[in-house]
Amino acid sequence: MNLKRHLALTRAGIMESLQYRLGTAVTLFANLIYLVLVYFLWKAIYASAGTDVVNGMTFTDTMIYLILATALFNFLEMFVVWDMSRSIQSGKIILDLLKPMNFRTYTFWSYSGSHVVLFALTFVPTFIVVMIVTNGAIPMGINLLYFVIATVFALIVNFSMEMIVATICLYTESTWGINIVKETIVLLLSGASIPLAFFPEVFRQVVEYLPFRAVYDIPLTILLEKNGTDTLEGLLPMFGLQLAWCVILTLAGVLFWNHSVRKITVNGG
Amino acid sequence: MSTNTITKQKERRGFGFYARIYRKILVQDLKSKMSYRADFVISTIGMIMTNLSGFVTFLILFKNFPSINGWDYHHMLFLYGFSLIALTPVQCFFDNNWNLRFQVQSGDFIKYCFRPINVFFYFMSEVFDVKGLGQLAFGVGTLVYAWVNIGIPVTPLVILKLLLFLLTASLFMIAIMNAAAATCFWIVGSGYVMVIMFRFKDFAKYPSNIFHGVFRILFTFVIPIAFVAYYPSLAILESDNIPVLTWCAPALGVLFFYLSYKFWMLGVRKYDFTGS
Amino acid sequence: MENAIVMKNVCKDFKILNRHEGLKGSIRDLFSRDYKTISAVKDVSLEIARGEIIGYLGPNGAGKSTTIKMMTGVLEPTSGDILVNGVVPYKERTKNSEHIGVVFGQRSQLWWSLPLIESFRLLRDIYMVPKKEYEDMLELYRSLVDIEPILHKPVRQMSLGQRTLSDILAAFLHNPAIVFLDEPTIGLDVSMKSKIRDLIKGLNQEKGTTVILTTHDMGDVDALCKRIVIIDEGKKIYDNDIDHLKSYFGSYRTLRMRLSDDTWEERVIDESKEDVMDIIMKKQKEQKIKDIQLQEISTEEVIKKIYEGGN
Repeated sequence: MNLKRHLALTRAGIMESLQYRLGTAVTLFANLIYLVLVYFLWKAIYASAGTDVVNGMTFTDTMIYLILATALFNFLEMFVVWDMSRSIQSGKIILDLLKPMNFRTYTFWSYSGSHVVLFALTFVPTFIVVMIVTNGAIPMGINLLYFVIATVFALIVNFSMEMIVATICLYTESTWGINIVKETIVLLLSGASIPLAFFPEVFRQVVEYLPFRAVYDIPLTILLEKNGTDTLEGLLPMFGLQLAWCVILTLAGVLFWNHSVRKITVNGG
Repeated sequence: MSTNTITKQKERRGFGFYARIYRKILVQDLKSKMSYRADFVISTIGMIMTNLSGFVTFLILFKNFPSINGWDYHHMLFLYGFSLIALTPVQCFFDNNWNLRFQVQSGDFIKYCFRPINVFFYFMSEVFDVKGLGQLAFGVGTLVYAWVNIGIPVTPLVILKLLLFLLTASLFMIAIMNAAAATCFWIVGSGYVMVIMFRFKDFAKYPSNIFHGVFRILFTFVIPIAFVAYYPSLAILESDNIPVLTWCAPALGVLFFYLSYKFWMLGVRKYDFTGS
Repeated sequence: MENAIVMKNVCKDFKILNRHEGLKGSIRDLFSRDYKTISAVKDVSLEIARGEIIGYLGPNGAGKSTTIKMMTGVLEPTSGDILVNGVVPYKERTKNSEHIGVVFGQRSQLWWSLPLIESFRLLRDIYMVPKKEYEDMLELYRSLVDIEPILHKPVRQMSLGQRTLSDILAAFLHNPAIVFLDEPTIGLDVSMKSKIRDLIKGLNQEKGTTVILTTHDMGDVDALCKRIVIIDEGKKIYDNDIDHLKSYFGSYRTLRMRLSDDTWEERVIDESKEDVMDIIMKKQKEQKIKDIQLQEISTEEVIKKIYEGGN
């Protein structure tokens, strides 16, 4: 694999993201306000609960979890589905397919640049602020490394899901509908809007084996060293789950994509 | 030699004119939408899913925490339903805001500037979003359920008040989305502003007295999510000591809508149209 | 009679951010306040009479679109005056747009999912065209082109040619005094091109509409325009009859000679410097010439010469 060529895409992506300087500043600011909303809501919720710990989560835990989930969300968010539907409508998809690089690889590396920028501009600052404000609530050790690894896995799982949904767009013009279904399911079942710890027992047991959890919940659980992830025995199943979904979803995505593209070329799309 | 219409004095384009044009576009639009039934079905499923997911989140929250800031389950449900209904107009009539960014960037937006009608109207009239109606049904169901359980008496006056304040509440949400969309005239890559403003609406369904200090002012007067459900619904929920802001809401709603419209139009004027 | 369009000393400047190259440059731009001013249109004056078809030409980025946008009231000139039908377009955009029609590039202005006839009906209502005038216009359309096959077709299902046709028809529907056509034949096949040219000519003759045509296709210019205006780097560099343009470069002709081996030799001759007969005679001494052709230089070549700075 020609890494240099791929990194050129990353570099182009970084440069493109930086062009939108005002946009970036506004994004940061809007995020901050969003976090303030989250803070007030949960402060009121905990104040009304009367106890400090609910389902093993203190107010600080919940806040860190949700704030970092939002930061992760911003950093992981991709518009593959929208891009795909637009390039299908404009016919640009044909050009994309003709590029001397596998379409999936091309898309992945094109996005990598904006991922790098967003990670540096949204996630890292948020993380530092949260770290300082909560004053030692985030364990600082080897878990940081594990967290980064888990995030890379999360990125791959997220990308695979995006690609699968984007492939569906080859069959229907209803991008909005497809996309909203995906977004809704991911946000709810990954723990991005409410920590999975609050879910009712039966529901949670099911959700824990689904791929959505690999995107937000696992990296954050590892970061906060919850659920026994401070030990290797606790950690390995988490990574195992992520890895398994990476493989399954990538494979499923590639097969689905190839099958669909063949169908299009046959029908002359 | 020329039969051009230059000297002809035409009647003014008033409210009646715009209502007629909108109705005609709407009818045509619905007709053509009928031919894309798959899209309609999938979109409707999507809409139901989002609402269902919002509802599940709400239930999970209340399973863990029995009340929020003194608001019990049914009162919270009332707020929830109220906010869903209030969000319907922005969804149905102003959904084209989401396309603004792309049209401005590609230069396609210029086409709205060549017609002798209001640019804002022309732009918004292009999209009527049927999906919003699904949300409306969901909201009405929730509101009625909460209403019955709280035991609010049904009188013509209360219904009238409800309609007035629902309309008021929807104006605030429209204003927020107009302003958020219009940022794209100045800022390239501001798409995220809309996304996050749209997510702010999820907080409209919580009592705004959870906010304190400067943020209470921020969420009341700058990004007025407190007016999307909380203040207007107090007019129905409270029998006495209704806050002053509730009574101010209708006037403020009109004001916010007007300001957002002016901001949007300022963007049109300011935009350089070099996108070609 | 007052002119359709009057422009006096019109200038338009744009302020743009000075971008730097490379990754480092991108990061620097994040904080940079380094703007530069670009003059898109420099001191252009222009008068266009009613009923004229004007070819408005210039290389890419010369300022054509900017001028059109100022005439349609979308852009405000930095300095200078514009009057379109006696209206200042920027100040009274709505009033101005009552009396103009615009076809802008390949961007359809019609309702994408509606059949053409429904778009027409909506436009009729928007421009408040009286019923009689509307019917007459449709009748005129029918006499000029075969519109029946596209009338009930949604715009999204049309071919590019049909879409362009529809857009032009829509632009004339409210019988505007002036119609702006920006590259109306771009990307079309030969027969569609001539169909569209005939339509424009027919509408111009029937309705006395002033037409401002920007194009890169000299076929359009030859078929439609008597007068052309050429703009380059924001400045007006030519404004006169198309015939005059040729006399401008009229001393140039192309001489083609068929030689004994049946090949054609071709050369452009500047008659002010050399004589055609001299050249033929000189050649004939070298070898036998079986045939000769003398061609006027084409508009295309003249324009090319002007763009290349042969002013």
